[in-house]
Amino acid sequence: MTASLHGRLSLLKHLIPFKSHHSSLLSPLHTTYSTSLSPDSPPQILTPPVSTLSRFKTKPSFARSVQLNGVSAFTSESDTSSITDVASDYLSVNIRCQKQDAEALSEALLSFGACSAYMDDLSDFGDLDEISITSIFPQDARVGTCITEAASSICLEYSPSYDISVCKQCDWASYVQESFQPTKVIDGLWVVPTWTEPPDLQSTNIILDPGLAFGTGEHPTTKLCLLLLYKLIKGGEHVLDYGTGSGVLGIAALKMGAALSVGLDIDPHAVTSARHNASLNSINPSRMPLYLVSGKSGLASPDATVDDLVSRKGEFDIIIANILLNPLMELADDIVSYGKPGSIIGLSGILSEQAPQLEERYSKYLDGISLSEMNGWACLRGIKKMH
Amino acid sequence: MATVLKDVVVRRPVAATLRLTVPAGGARPGPPVAPVLGQYRLNLMAFCKDFNARTQKYKPDTPIAVTLTAYKDNTFEFIVKSPPVSWFLKKAAGIESGSGRPGHVSVSTISLRHVYEIAKIKQADPTTKHLSIEAICKTIIATANSMGLEVVKDL
Repeated sequence: MTASLHGRLSLLKHLIPFKSHHSSLLSPLHTTYSTSLSPDSPPQILTPPVSTLSRFKTKPSFARSVQLNGVSAFTSESDTSSITDVASDYLSVNIRCQKQDAEALSEALLSFGACSAYMDDLSDFGDLDEISITSIFPQDARVGTCITEAASSICLEYSPSYDISVCKQCDWASYVQESFQPTKVIDGLWVVPTWTEPPDLQSTNIILDPGLAFGTGEHPTTKLCLLLLYKLIKGGEHVLDYGTGSGVLGIAALKMGAALSVGLDIDPHAVTSARHNASLNSINPSRMPLYLVSGKSGLASPDATVDDLVSRKGEFDIIIANILLNPLMELADDIVSYGKPGSIIGLSGILSEQAPQLEERYSKYLDGISLSEMNGWACLRGIKKMH
Repeated sequence: MATVLKDVVVRRPVAATLRLTVPAGGARPGPPVAPVLGQYRLNLMAFCKDFNARTQKYKPDTPIAVTLTAYKDNTFEFIVKSPPVSWFLKKAAGIESGSGRPGHVSVSTISLRHVYEIAKIKQADPTTKHLSIEAICKTIIATANSMGLEVVKDL
């Protein structure tokens, strides 16, 4: 490599996806589940999605050049595809290779169409022992081609053998439920799954069936927010749970004595879950109105019920938002607009290292900003400025 | 898959190594995360929250390679790495023909400079720090060839 290489302007710096102003071009991995391909189209992973803002317009030729490869490999494929079940949702492929090649092959598979590749701990195997990698592919992937290309990219001297099985979409909620245990937030306050007896019948128990929504009380951020509410609520407050998830924070606020708890979320699963959990806790829907809002730029979707939400701006005594750094940064105006002057705003879902950035962003809206932390996660609180 | 593991008492016995590609900020309780983590009884929601928080600095939906170590006690650790090599190559090939003649210019070549730049990004990954730039470049070239991309010295 010559010195001039170092000196040259790196085109690739534009490609590094760190908050660049270029449009997001991206991996169709998360969209393959909703599109279907005709048999002649190239492997989905190598066909970038159509993006109206894309500056890389030559993708079709790229796809063509890859397709040539794909087509020739396809005709020599030996996978006796028994994939006749059109209702299948993804492919689980068991691939056998030598232990010494396992790590490289797993990495390579991810570059050639696999969504994931996993294997049991290999420490008891010898280098030449045959081991199994399980790899998940979208239902329309050309598995044989992907495996062949992955193998050749790591210069494997043999062709790994493999079996494909078709897996249906599962009730993922059941996977979530498996790990959910009763959690004590503080003396006298527990969050309990609906299928378990509360360990302490005397304390305030928030009963939850979260489904696919976030918020079981176990995560440090949920705990930090629950502790904040516990400190703040004296009785009669109006609370806004911005990004309600399972509704755990809104429900907790009501149980602690708040008069009204409004929840909003961009995820329909969250709104459904929160509604269900409110009823599990015998909460009248009028005390916990819930809104499904549009995710874009914090503006609520133009629909009658959401106008009702927007009319509540400036009404709340406490706002709690346990989401993620980016939405907290982008939606600062919106979040704060719902609070009365002098209201308390709590923000979480951030790592401790992200707190300074958030503090800077909110310093124009909030006074008396302080931080609480737990296990590397943080919760920022402040008081909305009077004007 | 017959894997009989001896009962070795180690500080934290490893159950499995899981590799996933997940869009930055987009981990959800569904594929590709759920089938893999569910298999080893790992806390799906905790992973999603953690992964999403740690990938806030990437452009949304950039495919991020994650390597998880699942322990036998159902706990886990994970490392977030840069996107897969194929993603960088795809972009490199795209930019190569940004000459404004879409569909007319072949995009099946990339330059050594691209390879080197990709290798530099990859070398920053926690798991490849110990590899030489040369070794990483070789892997990238092999991947490029497998994708039907020709690597030329200069363009």
